[in-house]
Amino acid sequence: MLINILETAFNLIISLNKDLFEIISLSLKVTISALIIAVSISIPIGAFLALYKNKFQSFLVLISNTLMGMPPVVLGLLIYTLVSKKGIFGFLDILYTPSAMILAQTLLIIPIVISLTYEEIYKKNKEYNLLLISLNLSNFSKLKTLIYECRYALLTVALTGFGRASAEVGAVMIVGGNINHFTRVMTTAIAFETSKGSIELAVALGLILLLISLIITIIIKSLRKIS
Amino acid sequence: MNILPLKIHNLSYSVNGNNILNNINILSDEKKITIIAGNNGSGKSTLLKILHGLIEIPDNIIKWGDYSIKNVKDNQTMVFQTPILLNRTTYENLNYVANKKNITEKNYVQKIIEKLNIKDIANVNTRYISGGERQKVSIAMAIIGDPKIIFLDEPTSQLDPVYKNEIENIIKNLSDLNVKIFMTSHDVSQINRIGKEIIFLDNGNVIYQNSVTKFFNEKHCSLINNYMNYG
Repeated sequence: MLINILETAFNLIISLNKDLFEIISLSLKVTISALIIAVSISIPIGAFLALYKNKFQSFLVLISNTLMGMPPVVLGLLIYTLVSKKGIFGFLDILYTPSAMILAQTLLIIPIVISLTYEEIYKKNKEYNLLLISLNLSNFSKLKTLIYECRYALLTVALTGFGRASAEVGAVMIVGGNINHFTRVMTTAIAFETSKGSIELAVALGLILLLISLIITIIIKSLRKIS
Repeated sequence: MNILPLKIHNLSYSVNGNNILNNINILSDEKKITIIAGNNGSGKSTLLKILHGLIEIPDNIIKWGDYSIKNVKDNQTMVFQTPILLNRTTYENLNYVANKKNITEKNYVQKIIEKLNIKDIANVNTRYISGGERQKVSIAMAIIGDPKIIFLDEPTSQLDPVYKNEIENIIKNLSDLNVKIFMTSHDVSQINRIGKEIIFLDNGNVIYQNSVTKFFNEKHCSLINNYMNYG
């Protein structure tokens, strides 16, 4: 039976099944958009926190580290209450749209990227601090140098965020609603197709997710070697 | 404008209640190489870092000739005991410093590379070069922009005799080109070879300051005698 399922799943992938690739395409669009937004916000924040040491900064790092472990369903529920018709951001009218899913994934990735960026920049700053002070650089110039020096490590951080977002199901299910041809992404489709007994499509999507995970792991390993 | 004399007036520095430097007073007009010597924990590196501005202290404690503190900062560089180099090639490291110092002269970095004889490693990532080569790159970075003062924190302590000799020659050449050198060292024979003035520290106090020639010809307390015998 397993061989039959795998055979059908492979056929779906090889035959470029329209539904399958529509789901993959939306998943990538949502996750990549969330990643770009999250990275643009979080890397400067993480770097800033690493460079300016004070009690407030330590508190923010603690909060960020705590939020890293936040269950996605709880985050989804929170966003749902904010963007639902009665929520304070209800006027945006984004519930059950890809925009809400991007928002959920962005908020999910932000603490991860902030915390990991903080770690990387903090380590590099310790290594280069004397040289950078010795060169009499402005803080902005220091920040630019440190971010550049951490470029490979930060790419790894971004990919870690991508991996986390692409594998997430709870939050996007709650705020996206898993609407066919509109908000259905790989993870929600796998959950849905499995629940209705359509294992083949779920397995095909699962294989694609595994492939993405494998590619990310290989890239992260290569980047770690370089950095 | 003259960068010397260096005047230090009542300089004290402590960390978490531990006194590192105690009420130090120094007046130095020596234009060549000044060696800051002393046993481990005597405060040599801290003094060097303070002079270079890596550790901030109140104004008016240190005065450099006719220069304001801001101008001095732009005219001095430092070479660290363990070279701090960016994870880039030698050329890129030098180019980075040249850019930060707004040097636009064409082939400037190339000239520095030739001057320090580091052509062979110009395109090699500094992670893959030897300790001696790293120190040479570090000195090359320090001479970019023609600083008037260079601080060197035990620049040869981790090097073999061949590299030690090469680095000492570079330092002497810089001094001959009117670059004021402040250098910490544990190596008594090195102090004798290249030093012109010595400031000896013990437990954060200056216990001796004079020319190196006199240092080696005078009678000293047991602490300095031991240092000279075993250094």
